[in-house]
Amino acid sequence: MSGPSMLPTLAASGEVVIEDRLSLRLNPASLARGDIIVVRSPIDPTAIVCKRVIGLPGDVICVDPTGLKAPSTEHVLIPKGHIWICGDNMAYSRDSREYGPVPVALIRSKLFARIWPLKDRTIFWNSMRVLH
Amino acid sequence: MRPSAILHRQTRSWHNFAPPLKSLVTSVRTYIYWFPTVFVVSYYFYYLKIVSGRSMQPTLNPDSSLWRDVGLFNRYAIHTKRDYHRGDIVALCSPEDPNRVLVKRIIALAGDRVKTLPPYPDPEIVVPQGQAWIEGDEPFHSDDSNRFGPVPLALIESRLVTVVWPPSRFGNLFRPIQIDKDTSTPHKHSAYRLAMAELDRQRWRNARVTAVPHNSLQ
Repeated sequence: MSGPSMLPTLAASGEVVIEDRLSLRLNPASLARGDIIVVRSPIDPTAIVCKRVIGLPGDVICVDPTGLKAPSTEHVLIPKGHIWICGDNMAYSRDSREYGPVPVALIRSKLFARIWPLKDRTIFWNSMRVLH
Repeated sequence: MRPSAILHRQTRSWHNFAPPLKSLVTSVRTYIYWFPTVFVVSYYFYYLKIVSGRSMQPTLNPDSSLWRDVGLFNRYAIHTKRDYHRGDIVALCSPEDPNRVLVKRIIALAGDRVKTLPPYPDPEIVVPQGQAWIEGDEPFHSDDSNRFGPVPLALIESRLVTVVWPPSRFGNLFRPIQIDKDTSTPHKHSAYRLAMAELDRQRWRNARVTAVPHNSLQ
């Protein structure tokens, strides 16, 4: 793992995580908002990026409520077959706010757990709840 | 015990199996033995794929052919060498449906300016970094960038090398035209006219792209 775009969930470097490649292949519908996934970068075919899923196809996403990368009233309807990804460290993350919705076919895997450093070992549960 | 008695006992155990079962076990072992090799070759190097649909007519699957074209696709050039060229026919995952594979032509790469076709909303577009503009050769029946915009290069899986089936269309993409040498009117030959039509289509495709010189990966 490298890069500060998923702080504080994942450190900038020196961590080892387990990717789960099988569950999304066996059951593509198990992709949920809030999962951390590994995706091949839409702007660089040789790079892979690790971000969190914010929106699924059909959702309306507010691109950037802080107004940094887009006017804060701009909303996007995610087309069929695409998802919206965002890094946890929104101040330093190149994600869908810059390059728009990402095709689902680019997803490689979901992150399952962090195993190094041992004192920070965790399984990444998806604890997102919908607020009504 | 004498060595030959031990050997006899071993060979006798095979004779207890009915002959069809023995050949089945042998053939299963052969399949298991060769499976990793075949898998690696088809996943990293070359594989065969049936092309279906009308979106690449008349280059692939013309109406004059009874069979769907089977093409030899090269994954090595894309996966490992990352070698993309304008004009290549490639297989890519559809951005609209992740389970669907499309076979289209790369018209433009990152930085190029393309004149789009309906139903795309803008008449001209500059292809963003790391993406490509793909189109089918049959613009009226093609599900391509004119519908969903530029696609990330990472979606492209493999490049078509040649058509291998049906045999009459083997290598059809690169075959030069054969014209009878002692005809006085070569321009009336259907082979000549088909070749000129193909050239015209190529010129039309290239005319809609303003390419920027690429000296890097993209």
